[in-house]
Amino acid sequence: MTLELKHSFDDKTYRHFLNGFNIVLHCHHYMCLTTKLAEDFNDIGGTRILTETAEDTIRPIFDEYAKTHAIAPGDARLKMAAEFYSAMGLGRMDTSGTANAGNVTLQKSHIDQGWVKKWGNNTKPINHFTRGYIAAMFAAAFDKPARSYMVTETEAIVTGKPASAFAIVKQ
Amino acid sequence: MTVMRDKVVKDLVNITVTHDQDGLIPNFNVLVNQLPTSFWNTFAERIIATCPADRKPALEAALIQCAYECGYHTGYGIITSQEFKSVVMPMVTEGPKDVLRGAFAVFTAWGWAKSGIVQIVEGEKMTIRATDYYEADDAKGSDKHAYMIRGISTAFFELAYSDPYPNGMGKFQCEQVKGIECGDPFGEFIVTKK
Repeated sequence: MTLELKHSFDDKTYRHFLNGFNIVLHCHHYMCLTTKLAEDFNDIGGTRILTETAEDTIRPIFDEYAKTHAIAPGDARLKMAAEFYSAMGLGRMDTSGTANAGNVTLQKSHIDQGWVKKWGNNTKPINHFTRGYIAAMFAAAFDKPARSYMVTETEAIVTGKPASAFAIVKQ
Repeated sequence: MTVMRDKVVKDLVNITVTHDQDGLIPNFNVLVNQLPTSFWNTFAERIIATCPADRKPALEAALIQCAYECGYHTGYGIITSQEFKSVVMPMVTEGPKDVLRGAFAVFTAWGWAKSGIVQIVEGEKMTIRATDYYEADDAKGSDKHAYMIRGISTAFFELAYSDPYPNGMGKFQCEQVKGIECGDPFGEFIVTKK
């Protein structure tokens, strides 16, 4: 599958749009510092908020594309979401799964590689954004509501592994 | 001649932002991402809503710090990039002041805010005005919350007027005095010495 991506720029507001969704360019510093902030405020739910926000704000992009392009539920939608991951500059993702469970591997990761570039390796996984992204992609793929999937990062590039791995289980 | 923001923006948005074979967007000496503005806004809104009142100042300072560090490092990448040299530098006739104007044109081109410098006292003070910025979307209430613009404005001013990169951090601060999110016609941001 090759995504049909329509980038546009509004000459009045100077905003960018991807397939009609307002997007903004940021860098790995901003994403990694935001991740670190979520960890620093984890006693008030920082990482959960980050993960759920990713799930809730990425999901409409998948739903709109699947509807507009008549992408059937299941594997085709998982592949669609994996391509969006790259289109957003977040890395390279391989995915497989059913409505009940699945696996995702990141061969490359904006967040992990950005973190390593900025601070070096970490002792534990930090890719909370991608856990939410994956929850959104499985929910969109199998027409489930938000919070239908529990996503666990089982291996992480940031800890020194060659790839990141995520296990997905229907809740 | 000085830096013409609208020309810089139009030239830069024509540079297509596409990912490489690894799904990454390396540019300006950083890895770039392009995410929905709703993600950044919703995260800030939800974590602030969850935060106890006594810790809110620390959280807001941390949100500003995210943008400040990003702006300092990415800003340096921007003003030393080939794109900046080819698009902006031919218009630079007023030294650091014009480099700063160019940096804010890039700031606008990246979709951060339709913004520009309205006053500079070199090395002392700068006033930025933004007539559209995504941090004002879905505004509810009277709090000014353009944390990203505050952080990045401070960083850019330090790149222009503080010690040379990477030793110029921590010298300036930015206050938001007006905000579209609380009913003003534009956002206004003032950078001064700490």
